[in-house]
Amino acid sequence: MTTLHVISHSPFGDNRLTSCLRLLDNQDALLLCGDATYALKPGSEPYRVLQAAGLEQRLFALEEDLQARAIPDELAKAVDYPAFVALSLHYDKVNTWL
Amino acid sequence: MKFAIAVFSPAHAPSSRRALRFAEAALAGGHEITRLFFYQDGVHSASANVVAPQDEQDVAAQWRSFVSHHQLDAVVCIAAALRRGVLDEAEANRYQRPAVNLPKPWELSGLGQLHEAAQVADRLVCFGGD
Amino acid sequence: MASSLLIISRQAPWNGPSAREALDIALAGGAFDLPLGMLFLDDGVFQLASGQQPALLQQKNLAANLQALPMFGVEELFACAHSLQQRGLDGSTLELPVQVLDDAALRALIARFDQVVTL
Repeated sequence: MTTLHVISHSPFGDNRLTSCLRLLDNQDALLLCGDATYALKPGSEPYRVLQAAGLEQRLFALEEDLQARAIPDELAKAVDYPAFVALSLHYDKVNTWL
Repeated sequence: MKFAIAVFSPAHAPSSRRALRFAEAALAGGHEITRLFFYQDGVHSASANVVAPQDEQDVAAQWRSFVSHHQLDAVVCIAAALRRGVLDEAEANRYQRPAVNLPKPWELSGLGQLHEAAQVADRLVCFGGD
Repeated sequence: MASSLLIISRQAPWNGPSAREALDIALAGGAFDLPLGMLFLDDGVFQLASGQQPALLQQKNLAANLQALPMFGVEELFACAHSLQQRGLDGSTLELPVQVLDDAALRALIARFDQVVTL
């Protein structure tokens, strides 16, 4: 069964993103929201890690959090709340890293 | 589809607001919310005693009106709530505390309600942290 | 058929009520005879370290509650090998009989459960 992993903590000084990437199966997806979207800041260390992870169509970010932080959606697909709901149903379960 | 939504953060945390927006979008999309469950610091999202500054969002009040408007089943974990001073009238009386901050529409109940919700729903979606 | 739930506990034991409240979810589910698993990940593996003396911090001993898990029907207990190794913990000297899993086995574990909660 596939999993949509959701992270909202900043990748700086927190190991959720690192652990999640280790446990992400090849059919799983990752949605970044809140301060976790700082991982998508071009030129940053987590950006390079995410790029190397090669998630392609499986990396998403909450649009309002990207826009509020002036972070481009070049690496992740930006989603609004209706799309977040749809994603949660597309994958078999949602694992939020609380 | 049926959603169970669990909230683990207080009203001032971005994730409490995010949970509310998700819940609104789920209902707007024609889905059902079988239960909202508030656990850990999420019990503060149900507190009636939150006073938000006038120029800031009052997410606790938004939760209250969302739950009332859609007549949702909204359960606050009793053990987590007592530990954090979120009390309904019965508990305030039982423990002789001076304030009640959990009037209707919230229900205080046990963790079994989270498991029951997860069993009934197609998806359990949790919100917490930042 | 009841849907299965994997609880991933990744909080250190004496950092407020988080670890205990994660365990309470497992104990509550076990009481209802639900198919449950519990995985200790990241700092959560510190809950399994032997010889801890939480009484010095006026804390209840979490290990006693952890040991109740099998009695409550929660018999699927796992720990992350990487997290243990990172933190200098030896999988053979833990307080609880857990299966120590590598990353590939953890990915398969998460895939197997119907629902997952990570606290």
